[in-house]
Amino acid sequence: MANENENIKIVKDATCTFCGCVCDDMELHVDLDEKRITKAKNACVLGRAWFAEHTIEDAPAAMIDGKEVTIEEAIEEAAQTLVKAKFPITYGLSDTTSEAQREAVAITDYIKGNIDTTTSVCHGPSGLAFQGVGESTSTLGEVKNRADLVIYWGGNPAESHPRHFGRYAVTPKGMFTPNGKKDRTVVLVDVRKTKSAGVADILIRPKPGKDFEILWALRALVKGNKLSANEGEWFWGVNIEEETGVSLETLTDLAERMKNCRFGVLFFGMGLTMTRGRHFNSGALLALATDLNKYTHFVAKPVRGHGNVTGADNVVAWQTGYPFGVNFSRGYPRFNPGEFTTVDTLSNGDADAALIIASDPGSNFPKKAIDHLKNIPVITLDTKSTVTSKLSHVAFKTATYGINTGGTVYRMDDVSITLRPAFESPFPDDETILKKIKKRVHELTLKKIHPGGASGEAKVAAVNPL
Amino acid sequence: MPLHLKLHTQPEVPLEADCICPDIVQSLKNNEITAMTVFHGNRQVELGEFFECNGSFDGEINIDGDLSNIKHVGASMSFGKITVEGNIGLHTGAGMRGGEIIIEGNASDWLAAEMQGGKIVVKGNAGHMTGSGYRGSAIGMQGGEIIVHGNVKNETGHVMRRGLIAVGGDSGDFTGVNMLAGTIIVLGRMGIRTGAGMKRGSIISFNKAKLLPTFSRNCEYQPSFIKFYVSYLEKNGFSIDSSYLNNSFERWSGDSVELNRGEILLSTNKSK
Repeated sequence: MANENENIKIVKDATCTFCGCVCDDMELHVDLDEKRITKAKNACVLGRAWFAEHTIEDAPAAMIDGKEVTIEEAIEEAAQTLVKAKFPITYGLSDTTSEAQREAVAITDYIKGNIDTTTSVCHGPSGLAFQGVGESTSTLGEVKNRADLVIYWGGNPAESHPRHFGRYAVTPKGMFTPNGKKDRTVVLVDVRKTKSAGVADILIRPKPGKDFEILWALRALVKGNKLSANEGEWFWGVNIEEETGVSLETLTDLAERMKNCRFGVLFFGMGLTMTRGRHFNSGALLALATDLNKYTHFVAKPVRGHGNVTGADNVVAWQTGYPFGVNFSRGYPRFNPGEFTTVDTLSNGDADAALIIASDPGSNFPKKAIDHLKNIPVITLDTKSTVTSKLSHVAFKTATYGINTGGTVYRMDDVSITLRPAFESPFPDDETILKKIKKRVHELTLKKIHPGGASGEAKVAAVNPL
Repeated sequence: MPLHLKLHTQPEVPLEADCICPDIVQSLKNNEITAMTVFHGNRQVELGEFFECNGSFDGEINIDGDLSNIKHVGASMSFGKITVEGNIGLHTGAGMRGGEIIIEGNASDWLAAEMQGGKIVVKGNAGHMTGSGYRGSAIGMQGGEIIVHGNVKNETGHVMRRGLIAVGGDSGDFTGVNMLAGTIIVLGRMGIRTGAGMKRGSIISFNKAKLLPTFSRNCEYQPSFIKFYVSYLEKNGFSIDSSYLNNSFERWSGDSVELNRGEILLSTNKSK
């Protein structure tokens, strides 16, 4: 420590909410005078940056059209906007607590809106595939203790989830993997040679966009079927190696390794879900894992990005029955990705108001969607000033989950983890704001249903004083 | 004289008008028809706020205007006829059991999704998921005919169980994916991964196609039933080069990771 007189608090077993690994073994050194984290022991390079950059900024807690207002005024305006809308959409939710996500679902239900999470632009296709094919699953703890064949497909965890190798899947010593990495075979399937390639015992580099063909060929090889591609008949005019960039020998070897391992795991990333074929790519991989269970134990897990995106899927599925892309406009939940997912509701010009929570679609959506977002009233809740918050009608600045506020998040293997906040923020958290918006929205919708009658505004106000 | 509905006000947000269906309008007077409930986003409003209603229902409904933002027209209909003089939005004819829908313009996604019977003719193009199942459904189209003169996009006939889909133009990727049975005919070119995971059923194309390595070639032959299909499609307004009639077809069977009872027939001596 640089200065012994500093007011330092040490938070043990704190949780990093930057990525889907949700590592809960952090030791945070917090400078309470300056309200910042000075040291994050055990954190990876991404975690250290996450903890270091979330300091308390001097900014208004609530703004309407760029002008500072009180939080109450902003809540009133947000509620009025949402209730007036005919097709309001709720989006984001992956970087906030599950408690806040629950409030967002309730608001969407009251306003008969459309709720979608960032899942729809990352592992949404996997969500469809789970529904279509099913998922053979496990926790990361089981992977650590049992897996002797670890396959990463279409991802670069060394740079996106730096502790995935060390904490869960490659090097840790487990109950049945006492020698750590020596007891495991690591396979990496990626179109590029990334930094993750260093840990791989076998590196497979297919041509881009050929994952489905390779997975399908592997399924056939696992089942002992012949591949017609190598019979030299009129076919693609090429054999499987020319088509996919992977030789039949490599695929046969991989299929044999998969069948003969004790516990295999397929981790798949967005290289699979966001390339041509999308949910069928994920579906092919999940079907391969299912097929392999005829021979050995095999599981497939998506490697999730945002800290609580898994929680968003879990909460939305728990409350509505569907994980993302859910519409309430007829009063009951309907699920239809492609129609009710946010890129579509914005690009088609359907949405007429948006509630964006802890996400920045303004900087990463297609241009058509952003153009529409600029034309409708947007309400944002974010810890930082973003492109989306700048174009917002109502913008709330909130406390950071895991640093300033407690709550629950879900790790990428659907294990829930409780947060230990490091220091207090002057800004309210997402849950508090959303609860207030929910209450006001509920009052306004009841008022619409019972205008002026005995069960009208007065009665509601008596039950729920603001 | 058919019932004539004319769109006079373009909805601001999508309009769900599943009441535009012969089963519902058959017993209603015109003023009752304009008072039918439609969903304008999350608001329940009367059909008359958007449509002008003339004529009287004699088994046929005629709809006019740019209907690309109108969803669920003719959903679950069981008889009668709907003619659409333009483009139409999502879910047209979804789950229909009988009757006929004729679309002069383009149709959008989920055209005739989970259709059980009847006939849909699209003079323009159709979107994704034509004649497919909804997400999570094990079975899609279970009967009837979909005839598209233009192109269709991805996942045409996804988990199809029975019936006919005929496409005059090209189809996108995953044509007939996870198909259980039924027939898909594509006169143009098919995208990649045709018939992936198909159990049974026939996919017929008059062009070459890239197939998955899990399909195996059986033989080259001249299936006589193709002639019946060709003459039926010509009756429906398709113009098919007569040389196709005597073409031989490559028969491929698959998908070997599933039942391997499906067939893909690809015309041999003609490619566009």
